[in-house]
Amino acid sequence: MPIKLRGVMQSPVTPLKDDFSPDLATFERLLDFHVRTSGTAISWPHHKGESLNLTIAERKLFAEAAVKAVAGRVGVSIHVSALSVEDSLDLARHAQKIGADAIIAITPYFWNPTKEAIYDHFRRLGTSIDLPLIAYNSPSYLSGIEFDGELIERLIERLPNFIGMKEASFNSEKFIEISRSALAMKPDFALVTGVEYLLPSIPLGGVGSYSSAGAICPNLCNAAFEACIAADWDKARELQYKLSRLWLLFRDQYPSSLKGGMVMMGRPVGPTRPPLPTATRERQDYLRTQLEELGVMDTEPHGWQ
Amino acid sequence: MGTFQPGFVHTPVTPFTREARVDFGIYGKLIEFHLKHGAESLALPMHAGESVSLTDEERRKLLEFAIGQVKGRVPVIAHVSDSGTAIAVARARHAEQAGAAAIVATPPYYWTPPPAMLLEHFAMIGSAVRIPFFVYNAPDEMGGVKMTTDLALKLIGRLDNFAGIVDASLDWQFMIEVISEARKVRPDFQLVSGTEYLVSARAVGAKGMFAPLAGIAPALLKGLYDHCSKEQYKDARKAQEDIAAVRQVLKKGGVASLKAALHAMGRDCGAPRYPLLALGEAERGRIADAIEAIAAMGAEPRGW
Repeated sequence: MPIKLRGVMQSPVTPLKDDFSPDLATFERLLDFHVRTSGTAISWPHHKGESLNLTIAERKLFAEAAVKAVAGRVGVSIHVSALSVEDSLDLARHAQKIGADAIIAITPYFWNPTKEAIYDHFRRLGTSIDLPLIAYNSPSYLSGIEFDGELIERLIERLPNFIGMKEASFNSEKFIEISRSALAMKPDFALVTGVEYLLPSIPLGGVGSYSSAGAICPNLCNAAFEACIAADWDKARELQYKLSRLWLLFRDQYPSSLKGGMVMMGRPVGPTRPPLPTATRERQDYLRTQLEELGVMDTEPHGWQ
Repeated sequence: MGTFQPGFVHTPVTPFTREARVDFGIYGKLIEFHLKHGAESLALPMHAGESVSLTDEERRKLLEFAIGQVKGRVPVIAHVSDSGTAIAVARARHAEQAGAAAIVATPPYYWTPPPAMLLEHFAMIGSAVRIPFFVYNAPDEMGGVKMTTDLALKLIGRLDNFAGIVDASLDWQFMIEVISEARKVRPDFQLVSGTEYLVSARAVGAKGMFAPLAGIAPALLKGLYDHCSKEQYKDARKAQEDIAAVRQVLKKGGVASLKAALHAMGRDCGAPRYPLLALGEAERGRIADAIEAIAAMGAEPRGW
């Protein structure tokens, strides 16, 4: 199906058993939860899904499970970035083979590539498959390696399947430099912000966000998007401030605290793989007090149903 | 405290004569230009006004001159930053006596201050005056030294006149965090956009904008400011993209580019002062052409 990039899209965490092995049964429950709570698309495994701590074989296994469990109810994109570009290309071909609807990829890890090398990377990735390609910009995590307007323009020109970007700089200038280039060339290019930074991005032409807190508070996420679309800015500010507080709770050693919070929401998904820590009982209790203070416990679904 | 809202703030450059003296004749004309083209406040001399290249005496004279020229038509915000706390404190006191409506200060230059040092520096400056005190947060200009929400909350506890943050970090995470947390303890705490990237800042709750490009594109910026004030972001977005294009043309050369662009718009304010170097003829031509190529600039005033 053609993937629709609009609204709050969910990128599930990766459920693990106590021995850190894949928990596919819980993964399917989680995907179902996201689809039923109005996630407009599924994208897995973002860094929130511990992508880099999974083996390539595990990533393929989960990706197949995702496509199967979502079963065409919404679009599914597979994040194919890996330390090795060979693995990324392999994951991209695999995504196509199993029937995913798009792939998403960040700039290469570790090597501080030049702009030309970033262009070349995405050109190779984009031409290796027929699926739509979503690029992922996250300069603060990748020591300044990033997209700019010129790079976007060249890639849009070269790759007809380049349909959008996860823009996670959270920076006005960087977002505008990308949006004004991309949207002038391709008005339906989808600019999707990271976390739930909807309010600062939608007025600039953004179409929604990938979600950080969607497994905790899907109602709040969806309400924030609706308020932005309805131009109810006072309401949008109130909800965005709340989402910001949640992000500050979860941001450190992401997604450890997120998984801890999910325990408190009745949706346990197991530990977090090292080197990331697993949220301790004390941390979970602290998260519970914060979720209570924010009214999340009373307004959001508890458990898997 | 805190009823003072700066609104649409123009931040004039400082014109120099060929001998690199402050050109008060031109400065008077420049101030009139800003007032005529929508300034609701003036802030001076900001970094765009080469504050750090002026002597202490020149800064005082400049401020007194500006306040005399403005004659109460709009508030004048004095920029008092320095490396040494005592120097900034004395400058803040002078600004208040001279009739400034508010003061604004960056972290101390050069010292790469840890949070405790920043807190004391700001607390001493702010407590030296009764007029509103704004902190200017521009990590890119200050070697990465930046305000934090924790620091803002501590300053609120220390200073009744800490009115808000003029933010040039452009950082959505920080802007949202600081305004939502600070307003819990000081409901009239202000976030003011420190650059022309107003749309996102306004959407998350900023009021007001410091506009270093107001001498170049006052009409475009007035449109941006008015649309944002009414939260009409569909209209604001076009103006925002146009002014972003202007900013990118001038970004690399900093104040030298800004002055070259002013020249191109028929408002010659001379060259920048050393250590900044004036742009060569070719580069000035390139800037003039690049500005000309931005369609929205066609509606901007030429000359004084």
